[in-house]
Amino acid sequence: MNIWKISIQNLKSKPLYTFLSILTLSLSIALLLGIQQLKSSFRNQMDNNLGEIDLVIGAKGSPLQLVLASVLHLDNPTGNILYEEAQKLEKNPMIKSAVPISYGDNYKGFRIVGTTVKFLSLYNSELQKGRHIKKSMEVVLGNFIAEKLNLSIGDTFLSSHGLIENTIDIHNEELTVVGILKPTQKVIDRLIVTNLESFWDIHQHEEEEDHDHAEHHQDEERNKDKEITSLLLTFRNPSAILTLPRKINKQGNMQAVLPKYELDKLYEYIGIGFKVISWIAYLILVISGIAIFISLYKMVKERAFDLALLRTYGASNFQLINMVIYEGFTIVLFAFVIGFILIKTGLYFVFEIVKSDYQHSILQELSFNEVLQTVGLVCIIIILSISLAIYPIIKMNISTILSNEK
Amino acid sequence: MLQTENLTFHYKQQVDSFNFPNISLKAQENLLILGKSGIGKTTFLHLLAGLLTPISGEVLIDDITINSLSQSKLDVFRGQYIGLVFQKNFAVKTLSVLENLQARLFFSKKTINYEEIDKLLEQLGIKDCKKSKIYELSEGQLQRLGIALSVIHKPKVILADEPTSSLDDDNCKIVMELLIKQAKQTKANLIVITHDHRIQSFFQNSITL
Repeated sequence: MNIWKISIQNLKSKPLYTFLSILTLSLSIALLLGIQQLKSSFRNQMDNNLGEIDLVIGAKGSPLQLVLASVLHLDNPTGNILYEEAQKLEKNPMIKSAVPISYGDNYKGFRIVGTTVKFLSLYNSELQKGRHIKKSMEVVLGNFIAEKLNLSIGDTFLSSHGLIENTIDIHNEELTVVGILKPTQKVIDRLIVTNLESFWDIHQHEEEEDHDHAEHHQDEERNKDKEITSLLLTFRNPSAILTLPRKINKQGNMQAVLPKYELDKLYEYIGIGFKVISWIAYLILVISGIAIFISLYKMVKERAFDLALLRTYGASNFQLINMVIYEGFTIVLFAFVIGFILIKTGLYFVFEIVKSDYQHSILQELSFNEVLQTVGLVCIIIILSISLAIYPIIKMNISTILSNEK
Repeated sequence: MLQTENLTFHYKQQVDSFNFPNISLKAQENLLILGKSGIGKTTFLHLLAGLLTPISGEVLIDDITINSLSQSKLDVFRGQYIGLVFQKNFAVKTLSVLENLQARLFFSKKTINYEEIDKLLEQLGIKDCKKSKIYELSEGQLQRLGIALSVIHKPKVILADEPTSSLDDDNCKIVMELLIKQAKQTKANLIVITHDHRIQSFFQNSITL
């Protein structure tokens, strides 16, 4: 027999109160930690995928859309720009590197990006198996895709037009897997990388089929018509942020967008949702604190005689207070275990519902500090509830309670 | 051995203060304290148990002046030297019979001897209820458990507050016999306070407040 056992028996004697306390507390713990995990995962994802990209140049349209499409590979592109014009920009001395990307095709819902080999270095991505692309119609796969679609080196597949999986608009040209990239936890894990020529070849071919009777273009002219979707720039010197975008936005049909700025804005919008859920979680935490207080206070008040009896057994005030504290912390312990299980299963189902394959790449484990913050907050609330509940014990007059036994 | 000297007590809300007669009991001597309601019987008992602190005077148990003990020492002292029997509410409701006895021994810092517990429960005729919850016990069984809890830790003094006032004649006799027997076995002083004159015959010593 010890004080823990008495506390456990106390909890068992009021199963409904105990259940309510554990339920509300675990719910608020799950919400708080879940929101924090989503929040930091999104933040991390954005920062991660930004890589070294300082500026995105694409067709005029929504700047956010351009960033979502070209940096996070989530949205549709705003349009195409001429490769020739983009190439002119590359010569600017302020620019350290310029990576053209071109997309519009997919394989089983995964985007195919036509680009140069410099694209991989934006994400510090390296080959796990195979080799780099040497000629048109060769592809290198992001790690997640290779695993998910069970593709290996030498496999071939047909891409389809558009960014969504479909069986209507399939291209005739076979793409061959020549390499698989190492996992990076970045967007490139979910991309199929090929060179720009593959893109031009696939689409040129189709145009030729469509205009069978039309006169063939001259090679030079063809080169002039070549388009890309956007150009990802890295600056040599940060002052370029001020001058270059303005210069580009002034002329022609191109726009220059600072992805960091756009993503920060986006994060702020999403942040409102996160904030609302966070406040709901805080509210539930407070309610659960009150529930625990009531449960403990009720015990202390209604069982005053039992407590006085324990005092006549030789228990000190301190031991009785410990009994209440143990009761409270048993609830907290259970709530944390259930709370952690709730987040794990809850987030899994959230991703299941939105049918996203991104779960593994997006979701990040919370850092020890972040968990500690939430645990600390919960503990403060519970300590407050317990201290309020033990107040009657400190004030308890055993003699009065015992002589009023009826 | 128990002795009191010039005990007085005063409740804050009341004008009059209580003056209690001096008592002096040798080892294993029992005492009945009679008195009408409101005369301060329970107050006297609580002073003896160290639950209340007197305004003046002393309580000596085994040559220890209990009012001079610090609160924490008094808690330990009470747990080891005193056994209290109440009129009702004999045990902690959330614990079983055995758990109550275990808790009693735990708080008085005594080792738990299961053979002794079994023997005591058998003597009191409640061995079958060992695992029962308190609400499952009958009034009579509860009363016996109350006696068990007051002697299991081998106290020096057993203090009983109106132990028989809600019992019929037969049960009154049984309870008193059990109490006196257990007090004798544990070599303790038994002090009973009551307004119940039926139990006068069980005592050689009695005082009236």
